[in-house]
Amino acid sequence: NYDPRRVCLNPFPEISLGKHRRTAGVYLAGALFALANWTFLDAAVLSAHAHSPWGQPDQDPPVHVSFVDWIPGICSLLGYLVITLIDKDRVRGDEGFGDSRAVWRARLFLFIGFALMAGGLAGSVTVLILKYILNGFPDQFTYYGYANVSQSVALMLSAIVLWIAQSGGSEYEYNLTL
Amino acid sequence: MAAGLRTVILLSFVLAVGFLLIILSCALWQNWLPLLVALTFVLAPLPNALFSHCGSDDLNYEGSGPIDLGRFITSIIVVSGVALPIILAHSEVINPKACVMSIVGGGLVYGTILAYSAAFSQEDAEYE
Repeated sequence: NYDPRRVCLNPFPEISLGKHRRTAGVYLAGALFALANWTFLDAAVLSAHAHSPWGQPDQDPPVHVSFVDWIPGICSLLGYLVITLIDKDRVRGDEGFGDSRAVWRARLFLFIGFALMAGGLAGSVTVLILKYILNGFPDQFTYYGYANVSQSVALMLSAIVLWIAQSGGSEYEYNLTL
Repeated sequence: MAAGLRTVILLSFVLAVGFLLIILSCALWQNWLPLLVALTFVLAPLPNALFSHCGSDDLNYEGSGPIDLGRFITSIIVVSGVALPIILAHSEVINPKACVMSIVGGGLVYGTILAYSAAFSQEDAEYE
């Protein structure tokens, strides 16, 4: 049932873990969310207590986590907020949900949310390459950039898990209506 | 009744051991940052306890938003309680041994709270 008018399809497979699927998914999403932010905070704390590079005890650390490193994470967090705040039934576009403008607007905001998350991921990769890899810092400091990327990736995973957990929970309703 | 009493005594011992480990991890190195772990794990059951009463009146099986939010926040707090000492140990603010001790102690405290609520919520249900 392909509908060319639909921009954001819902292509995730239906995974059935029984009636605890929703609970487990929400817990997993929260854990991934916390893990993502703590990964980046680890880099930030490490940078604030940074030692000099290995083998050169009299040099200052060449690079620190600055505001540039925080921007991708903030974009990803905003996108996460937008995606989680959208009513999943609106996006699916079932009839009988008021006017069709609401569905259109919900899809627009969903698109903005996914664009913010993808922008965060792209920005973190950009920071990793431009700020850390191209300048040839030791692994000790390139870790800040990798932590940034893994924060964005884990936030995306968390959003996907939360979406699956919350959108697929209507089998009971199907049984009632069918 | 006797079994309940024994459970209470056992759980209180485990709770005391958990707090002892956390306080030892702070006091042995004169660095009181791991005490935040105790605070985190004590706060962890709070969101579920608050939000579990929000969606109980409507009887449809599909979970409601507030319950999900409570579970989400609980999960965030539990992971934070484990991640905080690891991060502090990673940046050499606290000793790695203090990190391990505070994680084990926090796990004992949280396990005590979970076991207590699981053991005594069923007994409440019998009276009603």
